[in-house]
Amino acid sequence: MSTLLQVPLPTEEKTYIDKVVAERLGRPGALLGILEAAQERNRHKYLPLEMLRYIAIKTETPLSRIYSVATFYSLFNLQAQGENTICICRGTACHTRGSRNLLQGARLDLGLGLEDGEADGNEADKLLLTTPDQKFTVRTVACFGQCAMAPVVEVNHRICGHATERTVQREIATIRAGE
Amino acid sequence: MAQKKLSIRIDGQLISAEEGQTILQAAKANGKYIPTLCALDGLTPVGACRVCLVEVSGVDRLFPACTTPIQDGMSVTTNSPRLTRYRRISVELLLIERNHVCAVCVSNGHCELQSMATAFGINTVEFAYNYPKLSLDTSHPRFVLDHNRCILCTRCVRVCAELEGAHVWDLTSRGIHARIVSEMNEKWGQATSCTSCGKCVQACPTGALAEKGWAVEEMVKNLGTVTTLVHRRGVEV
Repeated sequence: MSTLLQVPLPTEEKTYIDKVVAERLGRPGALLGILEAAQERNRHKYLPLEMLRYIAIKTETPLSRIYSVATFYSLFNLQAQGENTICICRGTACHTRGSRNLLQGARLDLGLGLEDGEADGNEADKLLLTTPDQKFTVRTVACFGQCAMAPVVEVNHRICGHATERTVQREIATIRAGE
Repeated sequence: MAQKKLSIRIDGQLISAEEGQTILQAAKANGKYIPTLCALDGLTPVGACRVCLVEVSGVDRLFPACTTPIQDGMSVTTNSPRLTRYRRISVELLLIERNHVCAVCVSNGHCELQSMATAFGINTVEFAYNYPKLSLDTSHPRFVLDHNRCILCTRCVRVCAELEGAHVWDLTSRGIHARIVSEMNEKWGQATSCTSCGKCVQACPTGALAEKGWAVEEMVKNLGTVTTLVHRRGVEV
């Protein structure tokens, strides 16, 4: 294990993780809380592999178990996220109210293209795309539970009901203008 | 350790079993057969394959025998047309999910999934095949992992974590994207915690995990080596 302990992470990150682990370890479901805290603190809102490795050592959890938990829950990201998140609901209600157009519109507006995913018939799959400048992330979700307001788009954790392509464009423009 | 004795009925026969036993354990102890795929003597039951479903009188839904603890006065049916139908569907769903091409599989003829399909008389499936494009991990010097044959029973995960204590394997993602991974999605050959003991290979019911150097039909697994170890170490489940 001696080689595993030399995880390349900044000291302040390590101290923070040590603190969180000390606070939570032993409680049921501690690992989820620790992973969430680590992701929240990360600048790009994701869990780098080194971070997972360090948490595994600190919590004495097998690496495969940590990886399994981090990939099971859609809450955890293993890739860097953009500064702003646009989350488009692809649930049944939103789909019938035209959420595919919203998704395609958002992808085109942000210059993400339409190549992968939709064309391969993997439409039901979870989609996660980030612009090269790390400003925006477009992702899909199965259902927000806000079907009465379909189609629903979530912009930086704020829900916009009855969204149209125009709404999405406006939201993107507002974020861009605000920078 | 004086365990409380419970009386249950399995297929009408009165059976005395210990409290805390599962339906499967009680049935096995009394020579009753319940088909299983993911259950392995001595490992924690997970109820992944749904082949061991049984009927409990008075309850409409079916119960997996491997994870359901017995209760006093319970009456269990292990075989009925309804159960056969459900078990058959479970096996068919396993067959369509990956590429189970027996003719070119190392485990052809020695495969538990194949035997189960034969036992249920499955020669065609009523659902469309998925034909996923899955990878093969040949990085380990002695063993090979073929995702195409995996049925996600997690026997390898449990045998490695509970018996070997290495916990090299686990499941990643979920639903149709679920896969077996070693450590943090590393190649098996690069997994530093792997002791190359081969318990996962012996525990694997299909040809997903196999030894290198064997051609079609040649990989004969010896499940006995794993179960003997469990009993020798006195693992209580």
